[in-house]
Amino acid sequence: MRTNYRTNSGVRFEMLSKDQLEALFNGVLHTLEYTGLDVHHEEARDILKGIGAWVDGIRVRIPAYLVKRSLDTAPRSFTLFARDGNSKHDIHIGPGRGHFGPGPTPPNFIDVDTLERRPYVKNDARIVATVCDALPNIDFCESLGTVSDVTTELAASYEFAEMFPKTSKPIVAWSFGADDGEDIHKMAVAEAGGQEAFEKRPTYVHYCEPISPLLSDDQAIDKLIFAARHRVPLIFTPCPIAGGTAPVTAAGIIVQAAAESWMGLTLAQAIQPGLPFFMGGVLSVMDMKESVFSYGAPELSLMEAGIAELAHYAGLPLWHTGGCTDSKVLDEQAAIEGSLSCFFSALAGGDLCHDVGYTESGMTGSILQTAMMDEAIGYSRRITRGIEVNEDTLATDVIHNVGPNGHYLYEKHTRKYFKTEFWYPNLCDRHSYEEWEAEGKKPMRDRVVERVQDILGTHEPSSIKPETQDVIKQVLAAAEQRVKDKK
Amino acid sequence: MSEIFEQLATLIIEGDDEKTPELVQKALDDGLDAKDILDNGLITGMNEVGVRFKGGSMYMPEVLMSAKAMHDGQELLRPLLATAKVKRSGKILLGTVKGDLHDIGKNLVGMMMEGQGLEVVNLGFNVEPEKFVAAIKEHKPDIVGMSSMLTTTMRFMGHTIKAIEEAGLRDNVKVIVGGAPLDAAFGQRIGADGYGYNAGDGAELAKQLLA
Repeated sequence: MRTNYRTNSGVRFEMLSKDQLEALFNGVLHTLEYTGLDVHHEEARDILKGIGAWVDGIRVRIPAYLVKRSLDTAPRSFTLFARDGNSKHDIHIGPGRGHFGPGPTPPNFIDVDTLERRPYVKNDARIVATVCDALPNIDFCESLGTVSDVTTELAASYEFAEMFPKTSKPIVAWSFGADDGEDIHKMAVAEAGGQEAFEKRPTYVHYCEPISPLLSDDQAIDKLIFAARHRVPLIFTPCPIAGGTAPVTAAGIIVQAAAESWMGLTLAQAIQPGLPFFMGGVLSVMDMKESVFSYGAPELSLMEAGIAELAHYAGLPLWHTGGCTDSKVLDEQAAIEGSLSCFFSALAGGDLCHDVGYTESGMTGSILQTAMMDEAIGYSRRITRGIEVNEDTLATDVIHNVGPNGHYLYEKHTRKYFKTEFWYPNLCDRHSYEEWEAEGKKPMRDRVVERVQDILGTHEPSSIKPETQDVIKQVLAAAEQRVKDKK
Repeated sequence: MSEIFEQLATLIIEGDDEKTPELVQKALDDGLDAKDILDNGLITGMNEVGVRFKGGSMYMPEVLMSAKAMHDGQELLRPLLATAKVKRSGKILLGTVKGDLHDIGKNLVGMMMEGQGLEVVNLGFNVEPEKFVAAIKEHKPDIVGMSSMLTTTMRFMGHTIKAIEEAGLRDNVKVIVGGAPLDAAFGQRIGADGYGYNAGDGAELAKQLLA
């Protein structure tokens, strides 16, 4: 037994000092209390006013003590569950645990057969869910597109209906408003076996966004209120653009994004104290030459690391961003930008790192990019798992026994550890030249495409209950009627 | 009877170097033929190991344990096979060339070859060309395998082949080469009969040349 033995078992990135974090934290509280936000939702303003916020027209200012109380009730650690009880697919949110998955709603998708860019269709949601279910380093599922070949208003409902049967990993769902948010909730609740059962073991997270700078629209708040009332874990994540819709400085954009997110936190905790809440957001620069929001910029990783530290300082999990690229195809740029941001996310311990598979600055979803990043995440995770130091791993006895000019391949010690100490690639090639040549001299991108096609040809996700299938059909039929009635 | 062969093959795949010789002994005590034990038990197991290693489901430390189990089991059979005048499967002379003190990679090749049922004479490291020549005369191998880990010692492979030629022994043996700085083209340039890119490939190559 060792006493007072300090260990650092994993590699972690820490950038900001306690003083800097306190300065950022106070900047957020200052903004919420003195500047406030426009909340375009009467009920939300009433709820906030009811707990002590100052409401002036649509402007809501939230005093610091209210924000601190919300931070107090929101949990730092909780679990998102696999719908089928497969505990390997559960996600345990907590300090030092980073998780990865795709992102929501690009209009286009890279066709996995033709490799061409085209509009995202219903079947793509099925493809994305199946591949996410199979990839070992992808922890949650999100659609990577907006379904274009169904009733427009029901894109999110159909997307969830397609994904839910094809993966048991927790899903991050979005919706246009509360109506289709309820469609999704009904499907998940049916599988869980009722609202109460769902609350005990939530299987999906609801994603909604405030608008930068400092604004929330009616629909986003509608969705937030629905999720909070039904105890659906919530992501409230802005997407501010440094130099455009947020200050150009990294510290400034972090303060603004946190203020936007914490308005949602305060509202959600007022409705449902203890609701699992992920703060956002997606922070990057406006490229001043191309005027795009860059998904491959180094500042994205840097700002995300900064806001991750602030989130953890404040006791919240972060909706992190990485594995994305500005590149249009699966190429070297996509690999560099995606891999570095995945690695940075792993180092920062961003709780749910999304947008793994975003290409073309968020305009095109690519499950091929996701599959390539699965490898980068595995690689990163081996590094962040770190070096374990104990009597057995020090191996001085083994070194002594083998001695000079011996070898370690026969050692029990080697056999005990070689599978866990080393990471083995799925896609990165370590063959000899001859073997690589014999297998057709395939570059990385060919191996990625093959892996995705192989998964689609062979992987069978666990199925949902037959009665849930029926509920999904009923929910979609009722939703079609609802849209018709409104027209 | 086929059950005991299956058990032997399984022990080889599992790399059990304790139970393999025990079961070989039991098979002999039961009156089974040494050649059958080798061919239907040990080699059947080792062939499966080769398939699994190539397919990626077995790893180097596991393969080497299988090779060791194979070797230990075979030791019991060797005297019987010799007296029965069964055609031996092949003899390999191995050494790391002059000036090079790297020993381990070449030993791994030797273990893999033994795992394939081949007989290996290991000359160690820093082996002068003349020593290779003398050992060929003494051991009469089918194949000479040379290893080099350094760009600076690679050239002694060519020198050694020349020495073998000058001694008039080149037609008696096949020569194979391997080691980190080499490639197949280098092997061809110096007049070797084959190049193995790793331990498993070297053993495979030896088997092919003997077939």
